Amino acid sequence: MKLTPQTALLAASLLTAASLTACAGGTAPAGSTGAQPKLTFIQGVAGDEFYVSMQCGINAAAKTAGATINTQGPAKFDPTLQKPIVDSVVASRPDAILIAPTDVAAMQAPLKAAAAAGIKVVLVDTTVQDPAFAASSIASDNKGGGLEAFKAIKNLNPAGGKVLVISTDPGVSTADARVAGFEEGAKADASFEYLGVQYSHNDPAEAAKLVSAALAKDPDIVGVFAANTFAAEGTATGIRQAGKQNQVKIVGFDAGPAQVKQLKEGVVQALIAQEPASIGTQGVEQALKAIKGESTTKEIQTGFKQITAENLSGVGAQYVYKSSC
Amino acid sequence: MTTTEAVARTAGTAKETLRTHSLRQALQVQSFQILLVLLVVFLAFAALAPEVFPTWGNVRQIIQNVSILGVLGIGMTFVIVTSGIDLSIGSNLVFSGVVAAKAMQAMGDSGWGTAIVGIVVAVGCGLGWGLLNGVLIAKAKVPPLIVTLGTLGGALGLAQVITGGVDIREVPAVLQDTIGYGNVPGTTLPTISLIAMVLILIFGTVLHRTRFGLYTFAVGSNEESARRVGVKVDRQLISIYALSGGLAGVAGILSLSQYGTTAIAGQSATNLNVIAAVVIGGTSLFGGVGTIFGTVVGLFIPAVLQNGFVIVGIQPFWQQVAVGAVLVLAVYVDQRRRAAAARGHSGKGDGTKKLFGRRTT
Repeated sequence: MKLTPQTALLAASLLTAASLTACAGGTAPAGSTGAQPKLTFIQGVAGDEFYVSMQCGINAAAKTAGATINTQGPAKFDPTLQKPIVDSVVASRPDAILIAPTDVAAMQAPLKAAAAAGIKVVLVDTTVQDPAFAASSIASDNKGGGLEAFKAIKNLNPAGGKVLVISTDPGVSTADARVAGFEEGAKADASFEYLGVQYSHNDPAEAAKLVSAALAKDPDIVGVFAANTFAAEGTATGIRQAGKQNQVKIVGFDAGPAQVKQLKEGVVQALIAQEPASIGTQGVEQALKAIKGESTTKEIQTGFKQITAENLSGVGAQYVYKSSC
Repeated sequence: MTTTEAVARTAGTAKETLRTHSLRQALQVQSFQILLVLLVVFLAFAALAPEVFPTWGNVRQIIQNVSILGVLGIGMTFVIVTSGIDLSIGSNLVFSGVVAAKAMQAMGDSGWGTAIVGIVVAVGCGLGWGLLNGVLIAKAKVPPLIVTLGTLGGALGLAQVITGGVDIREVPAVLQDTIGYGNVPGTTLPTISLIAMVLILIFGTVLHRTRFGLYTFAVGSNEESARRVGVKVDRQLISIYALSGGLAGVAGILSLSQYGTTAIAGQSATNLNVIAAVVIGGTSLFGGVGTIFGTVVGLFIPAVLQNGFVIVGIQPFWQQVAVGAVLVLAVYVDQRRRAAAARGHSGKGDGTKKLFGRRTT
């Protein structure tokens, strides 16, 4: 047979269909058999260690409870990418959705519609404007985490000085709370000057540029609080570019492999780690309770741990995020 | 990424001519083929999840989620038919949404009066960026790839300057209730999709049935010939980029209505997704060939793939792999057709005839 475009197209579509069937057979072990609760976990962004660790907690809890779990996530932390996924998940009618919403306003209506369709919604990590429809909201006590980050900077710079915050995007509830907690701590302490917050849009390169610019303006900055994984990566790069590793202390939030490596190398001096696995486990517990019609805890706050170079080989090790389960 | 490379490659070889006679036949064939691919994908998922996937509720939400991209796809089809490119649509959408949200915020109330001002402002902003693109491309002779790459950054940067990077979430309730999540009265068809369909019909007619559309194809087939037979090429190009910009403005207000936020950090891959859909739909990056219908089908392929993958429970990463494969395949088909045309086989020649014959007999 001659390879005409048409035959090529047909062959390719057949191949696609065949591989689809194959994939589906391999990864989706027929969820509808028996009375197993069907859960879906929608990440804020696919492939991020924080959400992977949460996924590990969820998978373990679901396995113990005999529930099936389907994990989906957008390629970027972006509500315009997450909404179609939520809509598709709702169409597949799971018993419960565990989700980290990517925007407080944009995800409100789709998730409310899911709850109205009888699907139990558990918000993990981030939240929405009016979470009244959700069975439960589980997140780290982010404000407390921000305050803890300030305390960590104070420990590293007892004399005080100028401090800066590199956050992700405005409107992400968790990041905003961390910044608020840090700001509160910094403003209450007269020996520190709070330079405000800069937004890196989840892009390490952007964070590096912001830090370089801030150091050009205020060469005597003593501490930077990087409010999430990407911001911490970029902040470290920016400080290294300016050659001020010894002067500027960085406290990062989150403890992905990249941050832990930086901690080991002395680029970052302390990490404030959340407990994503615990968020996931409790999320599954609440979702299962809601499915059974039992009363749920509306709001749960999980803690955070400080990881430093000293405790990394000891107690700190268990708080490091995982890149696979 | 593939798209950008393909565009760069186009610049040197865009000069070849196509006989108008074979044009219509050839493009009918490719949009037909791509429709077949869409059908196969749809049937595959329908077989895998028969009680969930092929339901109106599910199809409805796919249509709803494709609507905004559909509006952007119209303008992009016009632009690519002229062998140009418009990378700025995503940023333009965000910018128009931001300015409209600011204007509506200043008005204060949340009635239709405010909403209409917002709509006018958004479309006006979009048109403005589009005109700027068009003038720089047609008059200043800067390549479209560079001009729109510049306005891509410019529009997004200004949107961040205006808002300080903080999303505006005060969108009039009427917009969200009627356009964003409302249905056409008496049906379950989303209003946002009806708006997109009406625009697609209007501009589909403009592209395929009017002199403006004919000139668009003429400019894309061979700019110099078009100029010599008296087509005002500069004016044509400016109008087309303005159209693309204006539609990005429309998409901006639709996005505000749907998401209730300006989503400044979003839309970063929208331009590439729309370009991919246009190309998958059979519009040639070399210009002179294309249909709005093909673009619509091209938009549905990634949307249906993603929806199906989520429902079946496959890792989301596979969707990008599948869309990438379809994209490369579509360009391969386009290349084959061009090679056949260059050998003088167009119209009555073997290659095209074989393709076309299959369909008519």
